[in-house]
Amino acid sequence: MKPAVVAAMAIFAGSFAVATEAPPASDLTVFVLTRIEYDSVGGAGEAYYGYDGRIWERWETDFPQAEQNFAKRVNQLTSVVASRQPARRRLTAPNLGDSPFIFMSDVGYMTLSAPEMRALRDYLHNGGLLWVDDFWGDAEWASFERAMAGVLPGKRWRVLPIEHPIFHTVFDIEQMPQIPARDFAGRASTAEPPWVHRFPAGSLSVPTMRAYTDDDGRLMAIATHNTDIADGWERESYGEWYFERFSTKSYRVGINVIVYVLTH
Amino acid sequence: MFEWLFKVPRHAYEQGELVFGGELGWIWWLAAALLVGLSVGFARRLKGWPLGRRFAIHTLQFAAVALLLTILAGPALQILRVAEGVNTVAILVDTSSSMALPDANGASSRLDAAKRLIAEGIGGSEKTAIFQFDDRLRPAGSVAALDATGKRSRLVHALTDLTANYDQGALAAVVVLTDGAQTPGDADDLEPIAAGGVPVHAVGIGSVAIADDVEIAEVLLPPSPPPDTEVAARVTIRHARAEVGEVRLRVREGESVLAAATVRLDPDTPVLIKDVVFPSGAAGLKEVTFELEGPDSDPLPSNDTRSRLLDVAAAEHRVLYLEGEPRWEFKFIRRAVAEDKAIDMVTWLRTTPRKTYRQGVTGADELADGFPATLEALYRYDLVILGSLRSNALNDAQHAWLETFVAERGGSVLALAGRQAMAEGGWDVKPLARALPVMLERTAPDTAAAYTAGEYAAQPTAAGLVSALADIGGEDEAAREERWATLPMLADYHRLGPMKPGATTLLEAQGSVRVLPGAEPTVVVRGGSAVPLLVAQPYGFGQTAILATASTWRWRMRTPPDDERHGLFWRHLIRHLAGTAPPTRRLAVEAGYDVLDLNVSLKDARFQPITNAAVTARITAPDGEGFDTVLLPVAGEGAFGKAVAATKPGVYRVDVTARAAGEMGAGSTFTRLARVGGADLESFGAGLNVPLLTRIAAATGGRFWTPDDLGELPQAIAFGGAGIQERERMPLWDAPFLYLLLVLLKCLEWSLRRVWGGI
Repeated sequence: MKPAVVAAMAIFAGSFAVATEAPPASDLTVFVLTRIEYDSVGGAGEAYYGYDGRIWERWETDFPQAEQNFAKRVNQLTSVVASRQPARRRLTAPNLGDSPFIFMSDVGYMTLSAPEMRALRDYLHNGGLLWVDDFWGDAEWASFERAMAGVLPGKRWRVLPIEHPIFHTVFDIEQMPQIPARDFAGRASTAEPPWVHRFPAGSLSVPTMRAYTDDDGRLMAIATHNTDIADGWERESYGEWYFERFSTKSYRVGINVIVYVLTH
Repeated sequence: MFEWLFKVPRHAYEQGELVFGGELGWIWWLAAALLVGLSVGFARRLKGWPLGRRFAIHTLQFAAVALLLTILAGPALQILRVAEGVNTVAILVDTSSSMALPDANGASSRLDAAKRLIAEGIGGSEKTAIFQFDDRLRPAGSVAALDATGKRSRLVHALTDLTANYDQGALAAVVVLTDGAQTPGDADDLEPIAAGGVPVHAVGIGSVAIADDVEIAEVLLPPSPPPDTEVAARVTIRHARAEVGEVRLRVREGESVLAAATVRLDPDTPVLIKDVVFPSGAAGLKEVTFELEGPDSDPLPSNDTRSRLLDVAAAEHRVLYLEGEPRWEFKFIRRAVAEDKAIDMVTWLRTTPRKTYRQGVTGADELADGFPATLEALYRYDLVILGSLRSNALNDAQHAWLETFVAERGGSVLALAGRQAMAEGGWDVKPLARALPVMLERTAPDTAAAYTAGEYAAQPTAAGLVSALADIGGEDEAAREERWATLPMLADYHRLGPMKPGATTLLEAQGSVRVLPGAEPTVVVRGGSAVPLLVAQPYGFGQTAILATASTWRWRMRTPPDDERHGLFWRHLIRHLAGTAPPTRRLAVEAGYDVLDLNVSLKDARFQPITNAAVTARITAPDGEGFDTVLLPVAGEGAFGKAVAATKPGVYRVDVTARAAGEMGAGSTFTRLARVGGADLESFGAGLNVPLLTRIAAATGGRFWTPDDLGELPQAIAFGGAGIQERERMPLWDAPFLYLLLVLLKCLEWSLRRVWGGI
């Protein structure tokens, strides 16, 4: 989904299009999916990339189509009343607390400022939950882990076993699914190739859900690593075979996470 | 003056009967005819006068004639008065230690003032018998030797004892010299005293307020708070300070200070209530002391301290929360409650149209079919919270149970706002609608939805500021208002129907609130009118409440992590709603001075009274000595009780075993602890108790007197209607009042004639 070579072509073509500005989600009687804007280190292929004829910053990967599709399915399949219009905010936004659930994607090059770390720390301690998705391999994990170490120093990520309630709130999920970007969806292996990810990529074959927990064992942040759950939402119309093979799994994970977040 | 004018005392007029002693013979009739004739003849001279003037003169003339004829008829007052020399007036002197306090003038002690009144002959000319009382009534030897050392003042008990057992002759009256500062726990039934038929004249000695005194009048604590939670104590402070000042209130366990607060004393508020919160600590029995660091001028420092026994036990409130849609309010209520070990919350959530999610259940069967499947299962909860849930989640029987859950079981129901809540969810046609504090009304098709998004500020009403149901902390009223004013805005509101008559609004929501950007300090502009936000009302044995928002979660997410207001609000609201629900089996132990009053209430799982139970109690005294006693049925269905003697100061343990008829095994056992003694009871409430003394006097036909105004007391005794009495006729024909009135009538007539030119 984000090959560096396409990024260079897009720059030279001058197509610096950005994602459409979403109107503020002011109706808090409904569930609003909120995408977090963040800064990334590096240049083309790192902090940003070209794809589908435009330049994408890392934070906006899959945004807003993934959220819009996901909200539609949440409304269809659950009792949650979700807004079809997602919100986007920076961590330092004064109204960050209006979104007790926030989503970040493609965080392999993410960097957080001191005010952002402080804001995220307070947010998590207040009971908000962060879901980080779509980052692959050892180098991107290490980069993300370093950034988060400034938020909650001393906290350790732990892999959630499949017996954890988050895998069973609505659907009984027996295995953490690996969802690759659309370009790699037709291959035999569902793991994305190492060359599209930060070097050294290391192992990309085992998808996991890892978590920060508070002193009472409640989840504060979850990270779906070596998988791209949101791409399964975004690309649901790619083909019937794709929907059945990947989108259904993505929605099952997404809905379980949403219901878990709303109940714990 | 009265007696000079009317010739007999006022008390005689109040009691006596007017009779005429003269025979209305021919002389009286002749005089009457003569007088009337003279009047008529005289009236002819007024011919030509205007009608009004003639009427006035005639009226005055006929009044004078009537008065003269009355005098001629020989009026007299027929009275009953105590026979002189054969009756006794009992004088009771209070010798409890509160009588050592200064009297109203501050010149001497109250007891000395009483002695002085006796020496001055307060009983009048009747024979007197002098008694003293404190804990008990007994004859006083030498009045001069009386001292105020009694540790207890049982005025009603003493009067009951006297009227029931006095056998030394006829009692004409009882005169009590007392401050009326009765020790708590004394009997308050005046009927036996009134039945004695002897008027009690209560002479109040001392002042209502003891200058500069500050005392802890009462401390109320929850009966059995759970461990490691906050205990809210309600302290009543009474003072008689002439100027505004402050005292420090401390809560101690041993030498360890658990909490402290500053109390402002305002002369305009002689009785004030201070809520103070302190940690319950570990489970177990503990003695908590409340003390005031009073001013040096406090004349009675012994009433600045009160101790209470606190039985910290792991009691839990069972709460059932039913929610129809996963939403933030659900999550954050659960989180707030999770920090309170006293609350055991079970939640049932509809996650999809066909799936539900249960949390906190104790077994696989609990809520397996959604709403409790039996009445007994529902009645195990103390509070039911209804979220955004359609009423069709319950069948007709379950709807009926929910209403009786409040009305009969004494449980509480809290309804939250939501798009599927209240009338929008079909609850307006269900039995619960009768119990809720507002009318549920459906939204008309052409009007806005009842549940809408929008910014609202929550603010307490006057009732809310002092209610435990809307408590987010704050030492005093100003601090509580400040804590509410600085909360983040709510993000929704559920429009409510009209309030029911018994409903109380505790919180209001105010819309059109905006914060001026960049203003320093922050300026908040409030525009719209306030609408009810948290409304509660009692219903049957229970209570209901409605919270017209589902966005209190903003109080958690938009405040710093160490801000506890969201958690406090929910924990207090739930704990106090659930806390009023009675258990099936309850034991109350009230400790008197030397008695334990045991009361047991027994109900079955359907909360029907158990009337055929065998109830026994084991009383263990502070020294370990124990005895068993059987509790007998008392007034009220399912109630058993007994008063048992407890003469040893210290902590008593009461273990009650109740076994219903046919029940096998050991039955159910429950325990309470109570402290007997341990405080100087006489130093509390030591001011002159005028209401009690007035009540006693009124109930017996006597009067309340002050020491400076006892002039009429002998006559009040003489005409009191008690003792051995004799009938007496007191002629009134020569009462100066009659002749003065006659002169007045004639002078008035003469004056009018002179003015109108008729002489």
